[in-house]
Amino acid sequence: MDFAFSSDDLALRSEIQAFIREHMNDEVRSGLALASVGAESPPAVEALLEKIRKRGWAAVSWPQRYGGQGRSRLAQFIVEEEFHRAAALNVGGGGTGAPAILASGTEEQKDTFVPASIRMEVVFCQGYSEPQCGTDLAGIRCRATRAGEKYVINGQKIYTTNAQNSTHIFLMVRTDPASTRHAGLSVLLVPMNLPGIEVRPLWTIQYEPRAPLTTTYAEPRTNEVFFDNVEVPVSCRLGDEGDGWRVVQRGLNLDRVGARRYLISVMRDEDLVNHLKTDAPGIPQKRRDPRVRDKVAELWIEAQVCRLMTMRSVSIDEQGGEFVYEAAAEKVFAPEHGVRATEAISQILGPVSQLLNGSPYAVDEGIFAHNLLGAFQSTVNHGSVQVMRDQVARKGLGMPRSR
Amino acid sequence: MNVLPDADQLSIQRAVAEFLQEECPPALVRSCEKEQAGYSRTLWQKFAELGWLTLCLPQEYGGQGLPLAYLGLVLEEAGRRIAPLPLLSTLLPSVLIAKYGDDEQRALLHRVGRGELILCYAVTEASGVWQVDQIECEARQEDDCLVLNGTKYFVDNFLDAAQCLVACRMVDGSGKSKLRAILVDTDAPGITIERLEPLAKDGECVVTLVDVRVPQANILGAPGRRGEVVAEMMDLAAALVVPLMQGAARQAMELAVAYVNQREAFGQPIGGFQAIQHMAADMLNAVDGTQLLSREAIWRIGAGLPAAVEISQAKAFANERCLMVCRAAQQMHGGLGFIEDCDINLWYRRVASWSLRAGTVYEHRERVAHALLDVPGKVRLDVPVLLPEQVQA
Repeated sequence: MDFAFSSDDLALRSEIQAFIREHMNDEVRSGLALASVGAESPPAVEALLEKIRKRGWAAVSWPQRYGGQGRSRLAQFIVEEEFHRAAALNVGGGGTGAPAILASGTEEQKDTFVPASIRMEVVFCQGYSEPQCGTDLAGIRCRATRAGEKYVINGQKIYTTNAQNSTHIFLMVRTDPASTRHAGLSVLLVPMNLPGIEVRPLWTIQYEPRAPLTTTYAEPRTNEVFFDNVEVPVSCRLGDEGDGWRVVQRGLNLDRVGARRYLISVMRDEDLVNHLKTDAPGIPQKRRDPRVRDKVAELWIEAQVCRLMTMRSVSIDEQGGEFVYEAAAEKVFAPEHGVRATEAISQILGPVSQLLNGSPYAVDEGIFAHNLLGAFQSTVNHGSVQVMRDQVARKGLGMPRSR
Repeated sequence: MNVLPDADQLSIQRAVAEFLQEECPPALVRSCEKEQAGYSRTLWQKFAELGWLTLCLPQEYGGQGLPLAYLGLVLEEAGRRIAPLPLLSTLLPSVLIAKYGDDEQRALLHRVGRGELILCYAVTEASGVWQVDQIECEARQEDDCLVLNGTKYFVDNFLDAAQCLVACRMVDGSGKSKLRAILVDTDAPGITIERLEPLAKDGECVVTLVDVRVPQANILGAPGRRGEVVAEMMDLAAALVVPLMQGAARQAMELAVAYVNQREAFGQPIGGFQAIQHMAADMLNAVDGTQLLSREAIWRIGAGLPAAVEISQAKAFANERCLMVCRAAQQMHGGLGFIEDCDINLWYRRVASWSLRAGTVYEHRERVAHALLDVPGKVRLDVPVLLPEQVQA
């Protein structure tokens, strides 16, 4: 047991914080906001990403032979945390694509995709959910029919966030038409520029007015992706045919934990405390109010549990352990805490927290109102908290499959 | 940073777990309650013989010199079996004696390690409020003696202990008062004892001291360091009861899960119903959350880092969540949860009592709020916060 960061970890954190202070300016922030709706990123964003790549922060824990830094999972977490805190930027080496390719890909796939992912020439979006199935991925209908050395893909994906900026989709399909449930699923790595692929925007409840970048789920846009007789070579398949369920498990678990999930659940607690320490009108009175103090401490303690559960996941992953129930458990506790915190904070701050970005008298670009819109989203994506509880009960406590 | 216990820690924890599973069935807990025995002498002796009382005591005094985290793990397992052992009451003063005691006081630790000396500690007074300013028990200097007057409430294991570490207020000639922790023989003239009947049925007492005389050498701590002992005693009391609560809640949860997995209703084991499973999942998160907070707090104490806020975080969370887990475990047992013969009530009763000792949820949350809101500067979750008093120090 060791609950402290080492001096190397702390040095890395300070190095990134110094980098962010120097390079993360308003031009970059507004450029990132543009990219989130699908507009071209301005040169300032590209320049920043280039600097991040040069420092090796795009692939902190990936093996050196594929261009990564070969550092620890904790180091990756630190990079992810600092960039998320600064501008909700996903940097560090987590996420969809390369981590799964490193785990299940052929040497050729690793050589093709991993260095290119580090250069950000390859960006994956996730092709899991469909209109008829989300958390229950075993219900996938989108199919890839084998025709010699090709697959022909037909079907639809939904909630494909960032598809508009992605070069590839990490696509879960049914390759065995006779199969049901988990069997017969495969993962294909599909270029987004192929004929027959159509991306249509789905505008979220954060679209108008636009949420500030560090809002809980600020995304103004997600997408539907349609596949109409899209042909790909068999070599696009990741892992064995029919083995898709296994291929995605680790990635799904890692999406349920890690820096981003943790921060979107707890940054509101820090905002609240820091806001209560100001002398804005009415705030000193609230700071002394025993009701407020009790609630703030209650939320803070829950947030510490979120942090420690995140550290537990990093520790398990670092030591090459397998998640039994821990990722699912964290995916219940942290998002639900995020919702409780967001709603309690609004009650503490009072009526100004309903004011959206751009409204007269809005506080901090309306972040408290936009957080209310976004908070519940984390309880839904990457496995709803209800289904996560089923998994915790079954895998963590050995309870029977529910009927 | 690695929040998981290492191989050595796991092996000791596993050994304690296996021993207590074998040697400490619910029947033993019940018989101690029934006979009003504060603890099981046989179990205590075996526990001492296995060396588990000495883990975190200094090597010069027969200890193994391991970090406090080991004691935390032992307490988790003792809590799991709600073992009738005076572990917390004996080892808390021992840890303080090891840190602050003089040679003579530290020599007591040999006997503690062998299981020959049971100790206890006394903090709380009539108000029941868990704050240093509530300590009014007075220690007055007379010749080379200290004369103690006051009443201590909710003292654990006093009847079985040979000595009690008592939190007192010493008034000097100028009328200024200082907090002192003083070792008192439990059979000293002037002490009267009233046995309470708490939910835990563990022999908690009210202890009244009238002109109790103890040698001045019984003050714990070298001059200049004495002031910090009482605050540290209170912190340790809160910190070390949490692993007991967590272990107990975890066992109650596992008993309840085993029960619902075999209890049938509506044609199937009720453990297959989502309503039950979702309750169970929340129970697991509650005990895991307590465990993480508790291990962090105890690890920080062991590492010599400020831990007051982390301790309050753990105790506040444990008070609510461990009790919820034990109550839910009873509820999963249906009507049986209300029947004395069914063991599940043993866990609920212990955890309910523990949740009311060493600080309530509101007291500990106020301490966390104090550190968050009354110290200038921005906060960040992964940067420990300090109480204003700690910042000044």
